[in-house]
Amino acid sequence: MVLAVDVGNTNMTIGLFEGSQLLHTWRMSTQILKTSDEIGITLCSFLENAETKKEEVEGVVIGSVVPPMMYSLCHGIRKYLGKEPMVVSADLKLDLVIVRDNPKTAGIDRVVDLVAAKELYGMPAIVVDYGTANTFDVVNEKGEFITGFITAGIKSCAAQLYEKSSRLPQVELVAPQTVRATNTVDSLQIGIVAGHIGETIHIIETLKKELHLPQAKVIATGGLAQIMDPEGEIFDVYDPTLTLQGLRIIYEKNKGMAQ
Amino acid sequence: MILVMDVGNLEMLLGVVEGKELKGSWKMTTDSSKTSDEIGSTLVRFLRFDGILPAEIEDVVISSVVPPMMYALVRGVEKYLGVTPLVVDYQIKSNIIINMKNPSELASDRLVKMMAAFALYGGPVMVVDYGTATTYDVVDREGHFVTGITAPGVTVCAESLSSKTAQLPEIEIKRPESIFCRDIVSCIQAGVYYGHVGEAKYLIDRVKRELDLPDMKVVATGGMAHVMNEGNDLFDVIDSTLTIRGLAICYEQNKDEMHGRRGQDGSGR
Repeated sequence: MVLAVDVGNTNMTIGLFEGSQLLHTWRMSTQILKTSDEIGITLCSFLENAETKKEEVEGVVIGSVVPPMMYSLCHGIRKYLGKEPMVVSADLKLDLVIVRDNPKTAGIDRVVDLVAAKELYGMPAIVVDYGTANTFDVVNEKGEFITGFITAGIKSCAAQLYEKSSRLPQVELVAPQTVRATNTVDSLQIGIVAGHIGETIHIIETLKKELHLPQAKVIATGGLAQIMDPEGEIFDVYDPTLTLQGLRIIYEKNKGMAQ
Repeated sequence: MILVMDVGNLEMLLGVVEGKELKGSWKMTTDSSKTSDEIGSTLVRFLRFDGILPAEIEDVVISSVVPPMMYALVRGVEKYLGVTPLVVDYQIKSNIIINMKNPSELASDRLVKMMAAFALYGGPVMVVDYGTATTYDVVDREGHFVTGITAPGVTVCAESLSSKTAQLPEIEIKRPESIFCRDIVSCIQAGVYYGHVGEAKYLIDRVKRELDLPDMKVVATGGMAHVMNEGNDLFDVIDSTLTIRGLAICYEQNKDEMHGRRGQDGSGR
């Protein structure tokens, strides 16, 4: 079995794979103050709950956008699972060409998503990942990561707004039925949720048009993807496990190689 | 001459108006730790810079969304300009008909901008205001406030990327030169620009369609209006003086009542 760890800015998502099948997933908050012992013991208890012995885990793969988290995480895995984790970077075999001034600076979560999209759903594809930041990334029919946009995450920009303004209440993020608002809660729900729906539609249209990729498949992932597309008109596929699958695929491509 | 002030979360916009003429305008950082002396003496320096004597100011009108700023601001105006300011709230007489369960939820700056847009451009009209929040407020043909939408501001969204992630930098907000983003800064610039253009486009279209206002004019104000309109045809008018002109309109329609109210609660001179 393979353990895949996706380290995001807010949460770490951990998946246990048997072949290509995702058996279990867990979440742990990303806190750089956590010690290697806390992380390691938590991973062990996750595995115990899944009735899996640590000896059954043949390898661990990590994709991270939070460098300060890595020391404790890797050390915890070494000490408690007895494995040297494979840390995804642009130096590994990805079968994805990263077209950038410096490919090593591409956010690894975005690279992992595109590898998964390409292998599981084909090319060309646009991957939309809703998280602390939202990313809109494009892989063309030649397997090249040609461009990508980053926007503020739905929860993060709402949180930033509450911090910066003295009179706004925090609201639940639900898709509004109408654009008619005459109270503060409706006003914010429409602004935040419908605003991001508009963002999503316009960015996908712009990318398809300007890149001449009208046939690109649009694959969405991340917690809030579903409230972005209540009618199912924007995305071709919603795959909440895309990033974990990408990590697993990269692990398979690289496991035989010396690190 | 009157001095009008719009206290926003980040900045205070100040303007001196004589009749319909704008004699000068300035901005001051909103900082609730500022003292009344700092505010008052800065005000006087601003006025003098444009050749206006403090004694020429007959009245001061303030609209504010920052309650903690008000004490020092009011005291500073009283001490340095010798005038007790009139404070705008939802109870003022306006050309906008507000049908809300709780009208006090409507921030006074938004009401003021709607008053200006309706008076200057006629209804139906939408005011798009780019500030800490981006607001989309709509007045129909007869002057009813029909909807008000609040979204996180462009700068606020960009800041959230650098403050809530480990690897994303702060950026200058501008329209990207190319659709091909080859570094992290251009990825964010493209996302913030296209994302907010998309937000405006979608909300304008939906309001026109759902509220059946196909001929609605869209008037934009605030720092980002020009950036967002570049390469798009989002707005019919960009009017950076909307707030100042709205406050002047508000003053004309309310000066008697506001003076009266000021007298009643004993705060007048």
